[in-house]
Amino acid sequence: MDLSLPIALGIVGFGVLTGLLSALFGVGGGLVMVPFMVLALGESQHLAEGTSLLVIVPTAIAGVAVHRRKGYVSFKHALVLALGGVGGSFLGATLALTLEDIFLQKIFGVFLVIMGLRAVIEGFRRSRHHRASTVS
Amino acid sequence: MSADATKALVPAVLVGLAVGVFSGLLGVGGGIIMVPMLVGLIHLSQHEAHATSLAAIIPIATVGALTFAVAGEIDFPVAGLLALGARIMARTSEGLLKTLFGLLMTGVGVQLLLA
Repeated sequence: MDLSLPIALGIVGFGVLTGLLSALFGVGGGLVMVPFMVLALGESQHLAEGTSLLVIVPTAIAGVAVHRRKGYVSFKHALVLALGGVGGSFLGATLALTLEDIFLQKIFGVFLVIMGLRAVIEGFRRSRHHRASTVS
Repeated sequence: MSADATKALVPAVLVGLAVGVFSGLLGVGGGIIMVPMLVGLIHLSQHEAHATSLAAIIPIATVGALTFAVAGEIDFPVAGLLALGARIMARTSEGLLKTLFGLLMTGVGVQLLLA
């Protein structure tokens, strides 16, 4: 795509926002990066997904470096998860590449709606708890 | 390795496989589904699950990214800019964050003026 300076700055800004959202809500970047690239930058679903995965690698490495100091990372578990995970991600990515772009976009949409509704319900429940505990 | 130890590995490998398919198909890290599974099925604490999922995401997202790269489906300049933003966020103070947000608003404003 054509990268003018304002657009480039906007993309960096969105990267900052993604990092902020991840820190606040503990969600990964992909969930917000993919729709951003499709809707705001006009990228195809395939291009957005490949780009998102590439961004996730250094971000996850930086995250592990932080958590490792606190001793929370179980590398034993991570290794076993990765054993199944790399096979799975190759299968998933290959499947994504064989699907038509618009169909893949719809699958992503369904996934995002489910995650969104789940967050709405959880947020609603928490705010009710909050009110109940402050009223009494 | 004993049969029991091998058997204990099976759930984690299956969780990894499911998360991997999900990650590669949708272009996300998969932490949002991996963390609850690690807590519920593998019995890690919330903190451990979060940190461990990040470590597992590194090889999972690498293989996914490579698969998309081979098909020519990565926009490298955009990836670089997004990663730069995430990096800035990771090491930023509140003041710097405000400066950056100001720059973003200025940039968008200029674009609206020129459009």
